[in-house]
Formats: sequence, structure tokens, C-alpha cells
Amino acid sequence: MSVYKYEYLSVIESEDKMLSNLAHVLTKEGVENPERYGFMLAISEAFTNALLHGNRLDPTKKIWINLEIKSNSLKADIIDEGKGGIDQINKRKPSKLLDTNGRGVDLIEYYAAEYDISEYKNGGVKVSVTFDRDKETISK
Amino acid sequence: MDIQKKEEGSVAVLKLRGRLDLASGATLKEEIKALSSSELTLVHLNLEEVDFINSSGLGVLVSIMKEIRMQKGRLTLSNLASYVQEIFEITQLSHIFEIFTSEEEALNSYQSVGSN
Repeated sequence: MSVYKYEYLSVIESEDKMLSNLAHVLTKEGVENPERYGFMLAISEAFTNALLHGNRLDPTKKIWINLEIKSNSLKADIIDEGKGGIDQINKRKPSKLLDTNGRGVDLIEYYAAEYDISEYKNGGVKVSVTFDRDKETISK
Repeated sequence: MDIQKKEEGSVAVLKLRGRLDLASGATLKEEIKALSSSELTLVHLNLEEVDFINSSGLGVLVSIMKEIRMQKGRLTLSNLASYVQEIFEITQLSHIFEIFTSEEEALNSYQSVGSN
């Protein structure tokens, strides 16, 4: 099993940095499409939520990503420092076709084999996503 | 994300390369805004070299489409990778965007509309 840990500032530029780091790790670990794309997408959606809704682009707050790459599974935890994020997620309304946002959690639900959202007592939301490497996520 | 621009008749063709996400989406919106101010409202986006798009990127495309339609223009897309195409289908955005297999097919459709 390989473990990777990253810490990011809550600024827009971190998204690109995070995706570049993730792409590098997945290439190094030989993770290919379709699971590569689904995994990157799920992490990206959780990261965007953490950035915009959890930490509200507060540059003093951090986002942590922990990756576990195994031969038969991919797991990621995305953790922010926001408060009340889980309520926002649970109370979200279904997105309408012409909405410009609100599709992120639905995409995580679609692609991940398992996902879990929890909130720490003192604030901070953790989104965990797991993918099976021997299952075709794209054609699910 | 890298954006290559050209004009094919009255259609502005933008070939996108890289990831379409929160930050690069903002860049694309600025490019489209600049086209609109030059009264170029027929826009084709070739996504052949877009290797990643997330919900922020989709949101930007919806926003661009709304803007172009408000100006009585038209937006087409082409050359979507299979995994990008699937996201359009999951989110049902494939029903509201005009998506073509190739850039040539998309550009021909502008001629057909123009000759009607």
C-alpha cells in the first residue's frame, strides 16, 4: 500500500496544484482510466466543496488530502476546517438542468464505490471516497 | 488550460487543452466575454484535448451557453473524450448542449442553419 499526504491553502490556485499532484501520483502508481478519471473527479468535487463552502476561500484555513493506493482499491480523505458543512451538504436541493453549480456531490455519489461525509466536533468536514480498482466505474 | 482561437467564417472556434475546472473556467469565461464584445456570438468549442472536466467546468459551460443564447448566438461542442461525454450524460447536460462528433460536423451545421 502507498500513502500520500498533502496540505493545501484555501485559495483558488490550490485546485490546479492539487490536480497536478494527484495526476502525478496516479501515473506513478499505474492507475489508468476509467478508475483514474472517476477518482480524480470525486476528489476534485470534494476539494471544491471544501475550498468554497467549508473554508470559504479563507487563506488561513487548510485542506488536507490523504491518499491510500492499494492494488485493489483507491481511497481518499478530503478534510477541511469549516463549520456546518455537513448540514449544507445534507440540506442541498437537487440541481436543476441550467444551474451553474450544485452537481458535485451527485457526481461523487455516482462514481465512488463508497463515500462517507462526517464532521468533527470542533469543526471540519471529512469526505472519504473509495474506489474498487477491479471495477469499471465509468460503465457503472 | 491552453486556448487556441481561430475564426471559421462567422464562427469563433476555440480549441481547449488541459483541465476545465474552477480556475481555468474563469479564463474561458473571459475569452468568451471578449468574443461577445466583438459581436462574435457563434461559438464552437473543440474539447478534443480536454483531459479533465469537473462540475465547476460544467457550470462554466452552462453559464457561457446562457450568455450566448441571451445574445441570440449559438454554442456548439465537439470531440468529447468518452469519459467527458459520460459526465454530460450523467448530469443530463447532453440534452441542452449541441454536441458533435467532430469540429467539421459542427461547423457544417452552422452552414446548414445559415442556408435555411
